Amino acid sequence: MGKKVLVVDDDPDVRLFNTTVLEENGYLPLEAENGEEGLQMIKSEKPDLVILDVLMPRQSGIRLYRELKTNASLRDVKVLILSGIAKKTFLRSQQALTEFGESQVPEPEFYLEKPVDADILAATIKKTLG
Amino acid sequence: MHESERRMKIGKLLFVTKFEDLGYDALKTLLSLRQSGLEHIVFMYVIEREKVSMRRGIGYQKEEAIRLKETANIRFIDWAERLFEQGMEVGVYIQIGSLAAEVARAVRKEEADLVVIGRSHKTGLEQFYAGSTVTELIRRLPVPVLVYKPVTNSPFVTGTPFQRPLIATDWSPASLRAVEYLLDLAPLIEEVRVVHVADAEDIEGSSVMTAQKTRKDAKARLEEICARFQAQGSTARSHVYVGDPEAEIERAARECRATMVVLGSSSKNLWVERWLGSTPRKIAENSAFPTLLIPPAIG
Repeated sequence: MGKKVLVVDDDPDVRLFNTTVLEENGYLPLEAENGEEGLQMIKSEKPDLVILDVLMPRQSGIRLYRELKTNASLRDVKVLILSGIAKKTFLRSQQALTEFGESQVPEPEFYLEKPVDADILAATIKKTLG
Repeated sequence: MHESERRMKIGKLLFVTKFEDLGYDALKTLLSLRQSGLEHIVFMYVIEREKVSMRRGIGYQKEEAIRLKETANIRFIDWAERLFEQGMEVGVYIQIGSLAAEVARAVRKEEADLVVIGRSHKTGLEQFYAGSTVTELIRRLPVPVLVYKPVTNSPFVTGTPFQRPLIATDWSPASLRAVEYLLDLAPLIEEVRVVHVADAEDIEGSSVMTAQKTRKDAKARLEEICARFQAQGSTARSHVYVGDPEAEIERAARECRATMVVLGSSSKNLWVERWLGSTPRKIAENSAFPTLLIPPAIG
């Protein structure tokens, strides 16, 4: 059975695009439409990779990423950020939260800005999962 | 914790925009709410169904829906980036549907503490038949609604909304609840004006003594409210006006150089409101000043 990949994105069109790419490349896609739902699914489904949007209702990807990286049992979950929000904004946001007294979190290893080509997404997923 | 000890916190704000009515400049004037715990802003744009609905010979206007959605998305990404970089949490809703229904749904889903909207652009006749957006929202929402008016549109309003609010009270439970709400936000307030508009009929035909007593009694009650704001560290002054409440509250706001009008809102049913109107709703729609409406019960 293929590796489990959780797509966390509020846009159904983006989820459809991502899950199609995943299925075509032999992965088992799972879906969540916001950060809160994503966190629950990460805990229950233990995916091999999370493809994470940033700007979403309920809880943003910035918060979910922070929750994952500051939780000892979840910090090893691999994360690929896929967002319309620029990577430098993501990093500045995490830096601002650290300055406000929250824990420091590592930079995401893989970050793609939307829109992304299907081949590039597939190649990045493959690289992320080793 | 005892109810009276529970401080109101505005942790999450739902910012409902059509872009031409509310922009990032308006949002910036509300960031002082961070002092009162604001840490999460949710943007919302509702594409009114009739803009993209089925039309004879055209069908569902999918391309127009995508254009409107993506235009909103690009604008929200830009605003979100600025807020994320300040360490704030940001969310977005772009929906097709009825404005009031979609806002009510988002408030429930997000558990927002405050809704900010622009002034309704409906005509009087449209408002009568369809109901004004403000009326619809107040009726549906358990949280306060700030009807924002751009500062640049008014020569009278300078400053950020919570800087120098004017609160009008008629001693009704609704208006006294508005006082309690504003007291919780005292750390944001530089100066508050507490106003009562006496009914002209109470003064007409009465002796000078009776008229003065009416004024003196009202003033004494207003001073009690002022004392509570002063105890919280805000400067507070009381004023008694006489006449039509809508006109006099507007006059008071102008004379006091207020930055916002705060009113309690009672729960009249929709048809009573459409036929008779209500002072808070009229002020929210017509005043040059941003207007904060506090609902009957804050949920």
